Order: sequence, then C-alpha cells, then structure tokens
Amino acid sequence: MARLQLKNVNKRWGSFVGVDNFDLDIADQEFLVLLGPSGCGKSTTMRMIAGLEDVTEGEIWLGDRMVNNLEPKDRDISMVFQSYGLYPNLSVYENIRFPLRVRKVPKEKHRDMVMKAIEMVELQDFMDRRPAELSGGQRQRVALGRAIVRKPTVFLMDEPLSNLDAKLRVSTRAQIKNLQSKLKTTTVYVTHDQIEAMTLADRVVVMNAGKIQQVGTPTEIYDTPANTFVASFIGSPAMNLVEGKLEKGVFQGDGIHVEGLPAGPSGNVTLGFRAEDAEIVEDQGQIAAPMYSIELLGEASMITWRLGGALVSIKTNKEYRAEIGDIVHARIPASICHLFDTASGERIDDR
Amino acid sequence: MPHKTFMAFIWPSLLAMILFIALPILSVGYQSLFIEHEQILIETETCGPFGCTAEVSVDSAAMADLRAEKPAGRYNGLGTYTNASHLAFDEITEIFATSDNFTEIRTRIMNLPFYKALIFTLAYTFIVTPLVIILGFIIALVVNSIPRFLKGPVIFFSLLPMIVTPLVGSLVLFWMIDSRGIIGAALQALFSDPSLSLKASPALTWVTLFVYGVWHSAPFAFVVFYAGLQTVPQDTLESAMVDGASRWERVRFVTIPYLMPLATFIALMQLMDNFRVFEPIIGFSAAASATSLSYLIYNDLRAAESPLFGSAAATSMLTIIGVIILLLPVLRRNWREFNRKT
Amino acid sequence: MSSLAKRKPPSLVMLSTVFVLFWLVVAAFPFLWTMWGSFKVEGDFFSRADWMNAITGPVTQRQHGSAFTLAGYEGAWIQQEFWRSVVNTAIVTLFVVIISLTLGTLGGYALARSGFKYTFWLLMAALVFRAMPHVTLVSGYLLPFFQLNIWGFLPTTIIVLVAINQPFTLWMLHSFFLSIPKDLDEAAMVDGCTRFQAFRLAIIPVMWPGVITTGLFSFLLAYNDFTVTSMLLTQENATMIPKINSFLGSTQEEGKVMYAVAAVVSAIVPLFALILFFQRQIVSGLTAGAVKG
Repeated sequence: MARLQLKNVNKRWGSFVGVDNFDLDIADQEFLVLLGPSGCGKSTTMRMIAGLEDVTEGEIWLGDRMVNNLEPKDRDISMVFQSYGLYPNLSVYENIRFPLRVRKVPKEKHRDMVMKAIEMVELQDFMDRRPAELSGGQRQRVALGRAIVRKPTVFLMDEPLSNLDAKLRVSTRAQIKNLQSKLKTTTVYVTHDQIEAMTLADRVVVMNAGKIQQVGTPTEIYDTPANTFVASFIGSPAMNLVEGKLEKGVFQGDGIHVEGLPAGPSGNVTLGFRAEDAEIVEDQGQIAAPMYSIELLGEASMITWRLGGALVSIKTNKEYRAEIGDIVHARIPASICHLFDTASGERIDDR
Repeated sequence: MPHKTFMAFIWPSLLAMILFIALPILSVGYQSLFIEHEQILIETETCGPFGCTAEVSVDSAAMADLRAEKPAGRYNGLGTYTNASHLAFDEITEIFATSDNFTEIRTRIMNLPFYKALIFTLAYTFIVTPLVIILGFIIALVVNSIPRFLKGPVIFFSLLPMIVTPLVGSLVLFWMIDSRGIIGAALQALFSDPSLSLKASPALTWVTLFVYGVWHSAPFAFVVFYAGLQTVPQDTLESAMVDGASRWERVRFVTIPYLMPLATFIALMQLMDNFRVFEPIIGFSAAASATSLSYLIYNDLRAAESPLFGSAAATSMLTIIGVIILLLPVLRRNWREFNRKT
Repeated sequence: MSSLAKRKPPSLVMLSTVFVLFWLVVAAFPFLWTMWGSFKVEGDFFSRADWMNAITGPVTQRQHGSAFTLAGYEGAWIQQEFWRSVVNTAIVTLFVVIISLTLGTLGGYALARSGFKYTFWLLMAALVFRAMPHVTLVSGYLLPFFQLNIWGFLPTTIIVLVAINQPFTLWMLHSFFLSIPKDLDEAAMVDGCTRFQAFRLAIIPVMWPGVITTGLFSFLLAYNDFTVTSMLLTQENATMIPKINSFLGSTQEEGKVMYAVAAVVSAIVPLFALILFFQRQIVSGLTAGAVKG
C-alpha cells in the first residue's frame, strides 16, 4: 500500500510542453481521477507514473522510493490500457497469469491467484478463450483481471471504458468502483468523461493544456469550479457562461440582467449558472429574450436562448410549450450565480 | 524508448548499413581520385644470327609489385571526372566550338560514352515512370470492375512480369522479338518488311527497352492503385452520383484526387528503380545502342584485363549525385513535414 | 444498391473485358510461350520457316522422335552444371532472408517505438541508401574485397545482400510495427518485462504476418539479384542469374541457346509457385509502404 507523490513534474518535447509543473500528493487507498480534454497531458502524467515516459523535470515518489529512473517493471504498478493491450496469442487464463510468470512468482501459487482474479472479474466461463473470441466488455475485464492478479502498490487506468458502448460503460464503471473499494489499492484513473470522473473519484484533478486547473472532491468541483474551463467542462449540460459588465453588484449582459451579486468586483466578468438551478417564469425574469430552441430530453425539456455570442440553456418541466422566437423569461437568483474574470477566466466571487 | 535500448536493438542493422553501404560510398569516392598504374616497360635485347633487336615489353613482375603496394592506383585528382569517358569538358568545348548545327552537336555528344549513358538513363526514367503510372491506373480501374471471381487469377498473372527477375524477363522478351521469334516475325509480317529487326536500329532498341520497362513495372503500379481503389470512400462516390456526376467525372473528381498520394509513392519508387536501369540492357544485348550509367560502371569493372576501378568509381560518384538530385524534392518535403510536426 | 447505380453500359463492359484479356496476354503469354518452347529444339523455338513450329515442334519431332524434349534441361542442368547454381542460390537466399529478417525486426521495432528525432534521420538515410544503384556500391566493394581476400565467397555475398536489403526491410517492418498497438508491449513492461522480454513475449508472437511479407520481398531481392552476385562471385560459386548470363556468352553456337531457355524457365518456375502461395502477402506488402505514405 502506498502513497504516490508527484513533485513539480514536467514533461517537455523540445519546446512543446506536455505537462507543466504537476504537483500532487495522492493518499494511500485513494481513487484519483485525472480529467481533461484530449491532449491535456493527463495520459502523459499517467505514463510518467508508469515509467513508460521519461520525466523531464521533477520527481515521482512511490511510497518512500523515488522512482524516476526505475524501469516500469521495477515500479510495482499495474495498468489497464485504453485498447487493453491483451496478448492475442494467449488464452484469458494465460493473459492473466502473464505478470506472475514474468515476475517469477512461484509456479504453485499461480493457479490460486489467477482463479481469484478471474472470479473477481467474473470470467470463469471464458478462461480458455482467446481475446479475439471475446466481446469488448469481456476483454476489458481480462485487462482488469491482469491488473489485479498480483497486489501492486498502484493501479493505473488509462481511459479503460472509452472503447465500450454506453450501456456497458455504466455497469463496468460500477464494477471498477466496487473492485477498488474491496482491494483498497491506490488508483489513478484517466478519463475525458466527466461523468466517470464524478461517479468514481475520491478526488478529481481537472487538467487543461498541461496544467492542473483544479483539484477537489467531485462535489467541490461541481459546486465551486475554480475557473471558466472547469465550469464549462463539468456537468451535463455544462455550466452556462455569459459575458457582461458587473457594477455595484449588478450584472448586465445581452438579454440578461442580474442584481444582488457581490458588490466587490467590477468590470468585464463572465456570469455562470447551471441549467438545472434556474427556472422558467411567466415574466419579470432576469433573462427575457427570444427563444432559440426547445428540446425534449425525456424527463425534462431544455430551453435555449442565444445571448450575445453564447447559447444559454435552462431545464424546465417536460410539459412546457413555446414557439421558437417567442420571448421567454427565466429567473436567475443571485445565489446560484458564479462570477469569473473574463480576461483570466478565474473565479472572482468567494464561495 | 531510451537511447541505450534503442541502440541495443538497432546496432546490427546499423552496422550492416554503415559497413556495406556508407563505407563503400566513401571507398568509391576515394577510388575515383586514382587511376590505373602506368605500365612499366622494359627493353630487352635479343640477339640472333641477323643482329640484335630491341624488344619492349611490360614488366609484369614490377607491375604486380606496384599493384600490391598501391592497390588503388596512382593519384589523379579529379582528372578521371573530366576525361573523355566521363564529363569530357574538353571534348564538349570543342564540340560546341567546331560544330555547325544542333544535329551535329547532338550526334557528337551522343558519341561520348558518359553522355550517351546519361541521356538514355534520364530518358528511360522519365518516359517509363509516367507510362507505368498511367497504365497501372487503367488496369486497376478495369480489374476493379470485373466480377469478383476473376480478380484473383487476373492479379496472379499480372504479378508475373514484376516478380520475375529483370534479366530473365528481358531475356524472355528478347527471344520473342528475335527475327525468328514470334513477335519479331509477326512484326515483319505486319509491316511486310522481311529485314525489319528491333535489334538493328538504336531508336527501335530504345523503344524496346522502354516497352520492357513499362511491362515490368506496370504490375506494381496496378497493385498499389488496385489496393487504393478498395478504400475510395463510397460515401463520396455516392454523393457524386447523387450530384449528377457521370462515370468519367466520378473518376476524374473523386477517384483520381483520392489516389494522388499513391501516385506520388509509385513515382518515387519508380524513379529510384528506373534510374538504375541495367539488367534489361544485358538481357536485350542492347549495349551497342543504349547504355545506362549503371551499365557503364558494370562494364568498367568487367574490363578485359583488369577492372578500371578509377573510371567505375568516378561514374559511380556521378550517379550517386544524380540519385541525390532526384531525391531532393522528396527529402525536402519530408524535412518540411518533420519541422511542422515538432 | 447493386442494381441501378452500378449498372454499366454494354459498350463499357465490352471494352473492359477486351482490355483485361489484352493485358492478361501481355503479362502472361511471354512466360507461357517460353515455357512451352523450352521443351523444343532451337530450330523450332527460333523457326525461320513458320512460327507455328514452336508450338507443334516438327524439328523436335524429327530429331528426338517426340514433340517434346528435355534436351535443353539436360544440357543446362547436367552438362553446364546449372544444378550447382541452383544450390548456391538456395544457400544465398535462405541465409539472406534469415539474417535480413533478424536484423530488420530488431531495428524496425526500435524505429517504430522510439520517439526521438534521430529515428527520422535514420529513416531518411535508409531511403537514400535504398535509392543507391547497387552497382555503384559494388564498385566500392571490389577493391577492398580483393585486398582482404574475401572476394568470391558465398558468405561475403550473403552479407552484402543483407546490407543492401536492410533499408527496405527496415522501412517495411518499421511501418508494420507501427500498426501493432503500443499498448501491447507497454502492458508487458508494466506486467514485469524488460524491453527485450516484452519484444520476445508480446511482440514476436504477433509479428509473423508482417515478417512473412517482408521475408518474401527479401527473398525476391536475393533471388533476383544480378548486379551483386555477378560481380562478387567466382564461376563455381555463381548463383542462377549470373549463370544464365554466362550461358549467353558461351553458348551462342547452334543448339546451346536452348540451354539458356531451359535455365530461364527453371528460374521462373519457383517464382510462379511463390505467387501462387503468397499472392495475398505480396499484394499487401507492395501496398504497405504506400498506405503509410
């Protein structure tokens, strides 16, 4: 069991910066999710932890060992890859046994260990099949089984669900969560899917362009995004962001007017609020503008306006009816609003 | 992959290439600066009943010693490059000074071995390459449209001219175009000229070699284009159909643009291969009317008494420079792409 | 979908059928003709009277009592000892293929998995080397080989052919290894392998399709080579192709040309078999470089 520390880790290729000053302390048994759009450096960070990529600058500590210069095999980690990396010529059983074989675990222990892992990932019926004869979800579970067959100090998972269809993703997600809580192994999980991040993580690290944007529990990240990037990345739909001017606690934008905001800051700001926090009203709303579209989502309807350059959406009940082009009002109480500096994108209220 | 591991994997391959490709190029460059030793002559007097006669002969023992001592020959600087059988600067100047018209200049230049070979090599390269691409493309289009069960056999037979050894392939054709062979006889009948021979005139020999070149390489272009045709996006073709494009317009505006990168690839491969044209000249016994740069080198090395290393090396150096000029656009493009990536 | 849009006007169908037939004749007829003719005597294969003689073989009939004769083969294989060359060719091609592939898989794998700049330069250098006319290299070998006294032996030729083959082998295997997901060997390394173990345990089991295809082309290069083998081998060690060439010089007198014809056919037949069995691999190999650009 181990604590994993990354101390000011940098990765550069020539002049290109892949990971910029990544500094984080991951507690023993923690489930940490690295979240960000593709190319943000999250996979690179994980690959540096695994030893598949050199660290340009900084240190990685695993327990009380500095592992920068260790080969992947000497780091005592296991990893689940995006395309699984199964050995196509080996059966499921042999795939899962592979780490034991190359690590010279005594032969007589193999069967017990492999069988235990196979049971955990529920592959008893497929032991003798080759990966090519398995479905995507089963292959995924073989990869998981191979990762857990020995007790590594850290699990690394690189977008393990991205090749599965939507339905399977939900059930495998639950399985991963369950496994981790049973095994109590420190886990680093990379994904670009914010729902996976929210559901799985003890803590989420949001990354963009090689930099950490925010570190926090899923709730913290959802409730108090540190900047407009995190705000627009977390939540479904993402937070509405409208640019405008703030003066003496009054926000004025194109088609939107909110009063009662914190009086301190002023100037060009971006106002954010979530679609599910606001509501449609008959009149006297903070938004009063022609409706751009209405979409039925099933359990609710989504009303959209075009305010300035941005599309702003609000959820309402599914019976709501209006025609495109009608003036529709919405109530945006100051209490649900987030304020960001337009230039820097940083949060400026002090929630 | 760390540098050390990389080297551990690649060194055998690298060593082979350095020893047998890079070093020989240097060796060629070195040898090209030398020329064969002058013959050491000795005079011996033989006296007979009718008086003494002086006889001059080559001192073979001394020659052998000299060769063993300085195997590359004696230093000649760039002399070999400029002599009559290579760049022939003096001869060229003289030709331009003393010739009356263009035809004469051309005939006289064609008598200089290096230029004769260079012109044929370039003509072969730049005539055969485009023809191969065009013919290969047409075959691919047509084969792509025939019923599926015929495609396999057709591809099988199409591969033959390419796979078969160039020397063997050219011999096969050579025997057929013999005036007693089937094609030669057929041509004589066709033009009702019993003395017609493809081997006799230089022009016809050139044409024969070009035809051989196209025949030999068209299958390569065909196979590459054929594989490319399997991946032409059906959506684009269908949308062109919906937009009202005719069959030809679909080929012109969808298929050809899509296959352009493949054409570039084939052109690159063909330029490299055709520039070293050599075996067909031997197969067709065509050296009298057509020689290539590679053939010149071969011929020097096969010289009757002892190989003309200096001469062969000079031609080799000039050929290598030719190859690099030929590849320059490709290297430049790769370099630019590489810079954009980093 | 097949019905309306794919239907072709009959004239086009006609035209393409005629064209395919024409191409088939152009591509295959010379070989079939020569194979058939190799069982005749020279008077029939090169008939002054009537080209039909090459098919029916009246002179052959007269001389050997049958329309077919093995005289050409007998002359070439036994009298001229063509079998020696066949053995030499077998030795040369076998070793060239094995050594090329061993060096090439290691190097190609390294090139495909290393992200450093120098891989680009190595690949470019390989491209330039690939374009070198082989005879220019041979002119560089001869003198040093004479000096070192290693000229004329089969091993020398094998190593030279391997080296000349390397640029091509490296390119081909490099692009093939790029198509094997990196995840596979990385998974193996995380599972506890060194780079070499990962190569041996995870990559080697899945690399055979690419290696076989590359091997076919290595084989063809060695088998078809004339330049290197004709310059670097003594008469006794000659492989098939230079041997055939030497027939042309020595056997121009009446009757002997059929030896060359028989030898040529003997050299073609293995290639026929090769295409027959490996057509798919050859086609995929030819296009492998193209797809990667």
